Amino acid sequence: MASPSLSILGFQQKVVVGIADMAVSNNPNSVLATYSLGSCVGIAIYDPVSRVGGLLHAMLPDSTIDLEKAGRKPAMFVDTGIPALFRAAYELRAEKHRVHIYVVGGAQIMDSSGFFNIGKRNYDAVQGIFSRHGLRAVAEEVGGMVNRTMFLNLSTGILSLKISGQTEEVVLCKS
Amino acid sequence: MQKLDDYINQIEHLPPAPKLLPPLLALLQQPDLDISRVIQLIVHDPALTASVLRLSNSVAFSRGAAVENLGEAIARLGFETVYRLVVTVCGSKMLQPRQAGYALDPGELWQHSVTAAVAAQIVARHCHADPSLAFTAGLLHDLGKLVLSQALEGRYAQVAEQVEQFGRSMLEAEKALLGVQHAEVGARVLARWNFPASLVNAVCYHHQPEAAGAFQRLAACTYAGNMIANLIGQSYGIHALALQGRAEAMTILGISADDFQRYMIRTQEEFQGVEALVQTSN
Repeated sequence: MASPSLSILGFQQKVVVGIADMAVSNNPNSVLATYSLGSCVGIAIYDPVSRVGGLLHAMLPDSTIDLEKAGRKPAMFVDTGIPALFRAAYELRAEKHRVHIYVVGGAQIMDSSGFFNIGKRNYDAVQGIFSRHGLRAVAEEVGGMVNRTMFLNLSTGILSLKISGQTEEVVLCKS
Repeated sequence: MQKLDDYINQIEHLPPAPKLLPPLLALLQQPDLDISRVIQLIVHDPALTASVLRLSNSVAFSRGAAVENLGEAIARLGFETVYRLVVTVCGSKMLQPRQAGYALDPGELWQHSVTAAVAAQIVARHCHADPSLAFTAGLLHDLGKLVLSQALEGRYAQVAEQVEQFGRSMLEAEKALLGVQHAEVGARVLARWNFPASLVNAVCYHHQPEAAGAFQRLAACTYAGNMIANLIGQSYGIHALALQGRAEAMTILGISADDFQRYMIRTQEEFQGVEALVQTSN
């Protein structure tokens, strides 16, 4: 997290969210970033009023595969990570009816057998949780065979992406 | 074979053969390991020795008091770990550079390879294959990309067409455009460097393990390691995930879809060690 002294000076600070991890912040000088999603899903949320943002990098759909792991690292799984992300954002005064939600990642390989379709299963798990809680993404960039990196700028709410093998960063959505 | 050799012979910067690795691998296979022979092999290369000691004392491997010489490192960490450090240091030199033909920035092929090595080793441990061989095969599986990168440079549009319009994997796109693909090229390089048949075949068939004959299991571990690295995001360049899924490779190892997810978790857990390897061996 950005330290207060840096934010007073107006430095933009990048908060990097690793695999199976998450971060929330209300520091407008920070950019939440997560690299190389592959088949993992990145969920970003942003409340434009309180300017609270959060970012989750979940690796697998369902925590029942390893409950002990889910206890220690809820961000590993979509089903435990999304509630943890929202709870942490609510603590910083984000409100459910205001948050914009973005879903990125869930890439696939060429697999007719379905054995390796973790990306699809991750995305399906996200959809399942969203529908149970009455949530909807305002923008998505999912599937395909590319590796994506995402950035959430907390001062503007702009969500941007970088795709492996391409040099340009592209804006997915402006809050 | 001639065509493979032609590609290998014409590239300007094929890295020097890691001469230490084949004899070290041979020692590793012996039931009674003579540590002094291992030390003799490694100490001839002072830079390598220094790197191994530095890694031994890094956060990921250090166990208390500092390790000061190779004998101590082996006694403390075990020969298998020291072997992996040696492979890692050798592999890092070869795999760090940018590979323009694949749109791979400096370090990206290396990071992918180390992750695949760790994942292949985890799979091998659970599937009664040799973890050190699997680690080595995982680390070197994309060696052929060093050779083909030059030939693919400036041909992005053609590669993209192969993948996007003809639905081919990157491997199939290479074969269609160049007549050869990176797995067979890498295997040929390893054969020329006198690596054992197990490793040559594991690399050759890392996209199609069921064709690897007697070396199916090792090739399947390598396949699984590569797949895990790709799925958890350690995949880079254009069409990073244009790979064929082969459930039959998992049948060879008796791995279920749930097992596979657990190996993904284990790989992620060992990531800290991987990152230490990536940084320390730079």
